[in-house]
Amino acid sequence: MIDKKTLKTVLDLALANGGDFADIFVEKKITTGISAEGGKIERVHSGIDAGAGLRVLAGDMTAYAYTNDLGKESLLEIARTVGRTIKTTDRKEYNFDLRKVKPVVDFSFPERPDKVETSRKAEMVESADKATRQVNSELIKQVMVGYGDVIQQVTIANSAGDYVEDERIRTRFLVHAVAGDGAVIQTGYEAAGSLAGFDLLKRYPPEELGRKAGERAIQMLSAKPAPAGKFPVVMSGEAGGTMVHEACGHGLEADLVQKKLSVYAGKMGEQVASKEATIIDDATLSDRYGSYRFDDEGTPSRKVVLIEDGILKDYLYDRMTAGRDGKSSNGHGRRESYQHKPIPRMGNTFIAPGKADPEKIISQIKNGLLVKKMGGGQVNTTTGDFVFDVAEGYLIVDGQVGPMVRGATLTGNGPEVLKMLEMVGRDLGFTIGTCGKDGQGVPVSDAQPTLLIRELIVGGTQVSTNSQIRRI
Amino acid sequence: MLDEQVLLNLAESACKNAKLAGAGEAEAYLSYNREFSAEVREGQTETIKVALDRGLGLRVVKNGKVGFAYTSDLEKASLKNIADQAIANARETAADPYRIFPSPSPLYPELELYDSAVVKTPVETKIDLAKAMEEAARAFDPRVKIIESSNYQDIEACVLLVNSKGIKNSYRATYCGVNLSLVAGEGEDQQTGFAMDYRLRFDDLDAEKIGREAAFRAVRMLGAKPVSTRETTVLFDPYVAAGFLDLLGPALTAEAVQKGRSLFMGKVNQPVAALTVNIIDDGIMPGGIASAPFDGEGVQMSRKTLIEEGILKGYLHNTYTAAKENGASTGNCMRSSYKSAPDVGTTNFFIQPGVYTPDELINSTGNGIYITEVIGMHTANPISGDFSVGAAGILIENGQLTKPVRGIAIAGNIQEVFQQIDGIGSDLIFFGGQGSPTLRIARMVVSGH
Repeated sequence: MIDKKTLKTVLDLALANGGDFADIFVEKKITTGISAEGGKIERVHSGIDAGAGLRVLAGDMTAYAYTNDLGKESLLEIARTVGRTIKTTDRKEYNFDLRKVKPVVDFSFPERPDKVETSRKAEMVESADKATRQVNSELIKQVMVGYGDVIQQVTIANSAGDYVEDERIRTRFLVHAVAGDGAVIQTGYEAAGSLAGFDLLKRYPPEELGRKAGERAIQMLSAKPAPAGKFPVVMSGEAGGTMVHEACGHGLEADLVQKKLSVYAGKMGEQVASKEATIIDDATLSDRYGSYRFDDEGTPSRKVVLIEDGILKDYLYDRMTAGRDGKSSNGHGRRESYQHKPIPRMGNTFIAPGKADPEKIISQIKNGLLVKKMGGGQVNTTTGDFVFDVAEGYLIVDGQVGPMVRGATLTGNGPEVLKMLEMVGRDLGFTIGTCGKDGQGVPVSDAQPTLLIRELIVGGTQVSTNSQIRRI
Repeated sequence: MLDEQVLLNLAESACKNAKLAGAGEAEAYLSYNREFSAEVREGQTETIKVALDRGLGLRVVKNGKVGFAYTSDLEKASLKNIADQAIANARETAADPYRIFPSPSPLYPELELYDSAVVKTPVETKIDLAKAMEEAARAFDPRVKIIESSNYQDIEACVLLVNSKGIKNSYRATYCGVNLSLVAGEGEDQQTGFAMDYRLRFDDLDAEKIGREAAFRAVRMLGAKPVSTRETTVLFDPYVAAGFLDLLGPALTAEAVQKGRSLFMGKVNQPVAALTVNIIDDGIMPGGIASAPFDGEGVQMSRKTLIEEGILKGYLHNTYTAAKENGASTGNCMRSSYKSAPDVGTTNFFIQPGVYTPDELINSTGNGIYITEVIGMHTANPISGDFSVGAAGILIENGQLTKPVRGIAIAGNIQEVFQQIDGIGSDLIFFGGQGSPTLRIARMVVSGH
């Protein structure tokens, strides 16, 4: 997009008044989006957003400027702007060799979305819509289907002499079904997404996604309100990893740790979770939504073991936070776009599978909740308190899966829950999401095996009247 | 410096290009923004950010089919390219006779949206504002231990809209704001506090007040513990109440109603909230952060009472949803940027304040919980209205705020919550485009241990 000579000139000019480090992130993002509602293709969008973000680090300070005018004059102007912001005058040893950095992994994209006709993408949307309605044409009241692909081309160059060119292709597909019966309205949601091209839809056929979303919405119509109070909870492997993301992942991001905003600050090497818990973030996995070859600072991605057998081993670092801890980045400096500075973020976060048979875990519970699918969540990293939504849940009665319940959220405290992990299944199921932090959204995935947690607060509406009786 | 006339001509030529390329009707939305932000911590500037962000979104209609494409590159070749793309995209959408563009509105309101002080105030003064906010928080209470971030930001925006039906209009606006996140600590216990303020005018920002407020919110939560599961009276502070109001926004759009995914479907002229509840959307409110002379497709913005004395009066419309009902747009076509095609949405959206001070509401509540924080609001279901969120707040015992509470969940249905409102405070506060006073909800299920 921009030649090396210009990149060098811009970096050099940005460091005119000194500073420890400078980098430039040039990005071109080509997107296509298709959505259907009411059985009709309503929107077909496409577009290009290209721009550059330039950063200078000086001590603990970041000067950042971006522009989406990629003309040379405009780039020189932002270089002068960040240069002026830096008040030190001591220029350090900089390296403007701009040598290509080698990745640890490589990904291939067998079917690039820009080689697929828009009409074929639209057909996929239509077929998902039909399959969803066919689940029950009377009770399914509305279907929303969305398809999106993004081709992100980046060039990263820095004053440490690194140069990276990368292309990330992500495709996602989602179906939202609304079912209604009398006054009751319920919804079902199903999504697939990955660092992959159009071939994603071979592995996740749109009809199947639609059918699942439709069936869930219908089942929810007859679900009972969830109970309120404290219960043992089994999280099914297929439920996804929202809990590990919220309860643990965010608290392991080095910026939050260093600001002492995380319950995991100062706990390196300590037992912070049950011995059953090993937690990993691995952005090198193929065909996952949170995968990448290089992070957005040009550091090659790698597998990072965060917690091993309950012992805290590592945090998620970008370049700046790693520098503060006297380490090198472990490849977790990510950003939403050229408009944002990189910060420590998750990629694909998961609890490593154990040995237990998932069925056996459920059979341990007399009276509890089985989470079959999780929705969104949120965490307060300072206190560790988190909440997440149960998209599909069942009561467990005497070791058996009982009736479906709706309207539940689970509230708990991250470190406490990790200590209460009692059994870890041998399965593992991933879910995808867009993780928001400091106003930046990045694609992530997360996974958990089937887990038993001794107790969590279930935020339902059904106040149990017989809880005292049970205690007697 | 940007020249508005040059940009208007650029948008106009984008429309003309699209017509030449075969579009029946065309519309260009162009935005040109300059942004500045500063992040301060412990008296030191951590991040300074300056930005230029501009781009053009092109919407075309051909034979009743609509297509959209955008670009951040304003060169001729790119504009030509998106014209072709938008027309190609239109080919794949379903034909719909209501896909029309508006003609110019008879009278665009004159609003004061631009404050040159936002642009002219020196960077150092803006950074000092963030520093003063941080200092005010620390001075409020020594237990304020960590400043997560103390931020100042501003935007100078220019929005231009041209369509083939004769609209050729533009406005300039400035936005500025401060926000502060911090942690108060005592022993092992840590609690977070947050406050923010966004304005059109620089002099309206009161950073020190925001600093004290964030500190107050964190300190009062120290020592918080869960309570037992119960059904009780609940008060929402304005921040929490505005979060719940935000859930109603999508359901009040005609788009959601027409597509059968609104809980307000078929309820016009019926009671949907307690008698004392008035909910307003005001696109021309003086000083409103979401005020503008025209909306995302060039229709004049307006003020509407959506719920009056608990009765649903109507829905929010853009040109498309209005055409379907043979009515007029309410000026609620919204776009989040040049990259997004227009939608229906709220502007300055708020609950009208009542007569009671928050203290009077608390004192007249026997026992209950005053909720000051919720997490997971985005997990609420905007279609069914069901929600279950994590919460924290302060216990009310015999009409007095007593102990802080955390680790609880509140659940219910948003419609029932609005029907159960039995007290509205006089303290209307805006958080960006949403505003609410303190609300009291007669009964609600609180899950605890």
